[in-house]
Amino acid sequence: MLMNTFKIPIALLLITVLNGCSATSFNDLFSSYAQQMQQVNIAQRQGNFKYAINVIPPRSESDGTFNLRLLEQARLNFLDRDYAQSQVTFNDAYNLIQQQQQAAKIELSRGVENVGAILSNDNATRYDIPYYEQSMLHSYQALNYLYQQDLSGALVEIRRANLVQQSALHTNQDSLQSSRQSMVRQSDMSKQYPTMETTIGQVKNGFQNAFTFYLSALLYHSAGELNDAYIDYKKALEIYPNNTYLQRDVWRLANKLFMIDDVKQFKKRFSATITQESIPKNSGEVVVIVEQGIISPKQESSIHLPIFTRHNDMRFYSVALPTYQNNLTTYQPVQVRVQDEIFLSQEIVRLQSLAAKQLKDQYPLMVTRQIARVVAKEELRQQMSKQGGDIGNILASLYNISSEKADTRSWSTLPNSIHILRIPITAGEHTLSFNINGTTQNINVAITKEKQTLIKISAIGSYTDHQIHYF
Amino acid sequence: MKKFFILPAVAISLLAISGCTNKSVVRYGDAAAVETTDINFGSTDLQKVAAEMTDSLLISPVVGTLTVNTRPVIFVESIKNKTSEHIDTESITDSISTKLLRSGKFRFVDMGRVASVREQLQYQQSGGMVDTSKAKQFGQQIGAQYMLYGNLASIVKSNQDQSDVYYKFTLRLMDLESGLVEWADETEIRKTKGKEYISW
Repeated sequence: MLMNTFKIPIALLLITVLNGCSATSFNDLFSSYAQQMQQVNIAQRQGNFKYAINVIPPRSESDGTFNLRLLEQARLNFLDRDYAQSQVTFNDAYNLIQQQQQAAKIELSRGVENVGAILSNDNATRYDIPYYEQSMLHSYQALNYLYQQDLSGALVEIRRANLVQQSALHTNQDSLQSSRQSMVRQSDMSKQYPTMETTIGQVKNGFQNAFTFYLSALLYHSAGELNDAYIDYKKALEIYPNNTYLQRDVWRLANKLFMIDDVKQFKKRFSATITQESIPKNSGEVVVIVEQGIISPKQESSIHLPIFTRHNDMRFYSVALPTYQNNLTTYQPVQVRVQDEIFLSQEIVRLQSLAAKQLKDQYPLMVTRQIARVVAKEELRQQMSKQGGDIGNILASLYNISSEKADTRSWSTLPNSIHILRIPITAGEHTLSFNINGTTQNINVAITKEKQTLIKISAIGSYTDHQIHYF
Repeated sequence: MKKFFILPAVAISLLAISGCTNKSVVRYGDAAAVETTDINFGSTDLQKVAAEMTDSLLISPVVGTLTVNTRPVIFVESIKNKTSEHIDTESITDSISTKLLRSGKFRFVDMGRVASVREQLQYQQSGGMVDTSKAKQFGQQIGAQYMLYGNLASIVKSNQDQSDVYYKFTLRLMDLESGLVEWADETEIRKTKGKEYISW
């Protein structure tokens, strides 16, 4: 009996050691990622980025969540305007993604992680950075290069982002195909063209990031590669077909590049205010990118799963699964007043929706793992109660309950939504009056003829900041 | 109960073996050896591109006639990086211009050092330290007759089994006065990396 009571703590110890070695930190065993990141998000909302970086839970390089930690840190460095450091950190994260992509098809270490995950929770598995987070990584990295006056480096990141978006498209080809087929079946295709565009846009919206396409188009545009820019503006428009700023960009470039067939089509689709608008002479453009809020963290919700035990009686087990709250925060569009004319920003990406779609796709696998875990933990409890009596039973039950944590890991310092705004302004010095969530802010810009000026605004909680870049 | 111990024990010992036995060793290697650490643009690609381009340029009959009795002056414009990797294209142009200089058929002006030259000449002219009769004069430099420029583009594809990358390097020589492209060539590189089936 004495031996047995010793064995139980040893077993628990081994489980935690196993977790520690394979991929996860001790923290993950008893508190969820969203809980650990709470402090960071509070500091981020106040604009206290240096403090936020300090309170990111530390992780060792062998930790399966180390890549996510790098993303959080790099994003905060970016907000803190430490672009060089942000660039280095994002690059480390990118290298980890590359390593994972080029790894062998079967990795034994993953097997060990999965064993660990079966005895603890899903946080013990390696975190795979989803496509939408990868596209944001490259977008921020492009801005990092841009702010360090390296347009050619920024374009490299844009090309990497496009590779990611291609992979995302490739992975989701099936859902796109089926929706396209159902559209064709429904009615004559040529008549339905605009609505079909909208539907495909809605499907693509689930996995492709229109902001990344827009940034890509903008950088190509400013580098004078108009054809590349046109393609990416069009891709962004496919996802947000009603965004009038995108319509205007596509319309102008289609005319400039003599895309005759496209011009004909767009003339029918777009409103007359866009197709008949003339570009004022001696003017440049102000492009405003507004980052709104912080993406909501995944929440833990308990559900009851019916499981058949060894004695063939059905029991309900409570398990934890990650979810997102089912409502989107609405953000006021940013207002800009230029010479008595008011412009409103329009949405270009809703990262919250991309994250939700990602989670939805992961559910089937997650539930399967969860069932395996319930069975394994029940087995552990039975064994320990057999060998350790009541103490064993209680210890095992306590361990099972407290280690049952949903995998709430995701890049949680990202903005919730990104808006764009693009206005032609006559060359020269201007003071633009911005209205961001009720507060007015004046920003001075010097517009150059036929050049773009990029203003990036971050509106997170009570914090607003802007960064101007002249192409 | 025993089964529960075996698995963690095996896992821990495997980890220990894989984690602790690595010792780093410093060695000298052959700078021209083929390097295949990963699929990205590497030293072998750089050497291949530079060698093929200079060879092609030097044996081209057009360039042969250009360099009869004279050593044309060239300026190297940057190579445009159109790949999805951060490649130091200046390093490629450095290799090419060094090889061309070494052939003795061309001369180069270096646009990257104009600021330092101006500073030095200003010092000689008005620094008060240099004998003005021996100071080098402004406006005596020789203008370049030709411009060397190019592109490095890539196509990257990958699936579950392998990744493939294709590079195309294009180099051109333009007569600055007439605007004619006197010479152009391209070289291609294809690299494929198959994925391992099983690993730690």
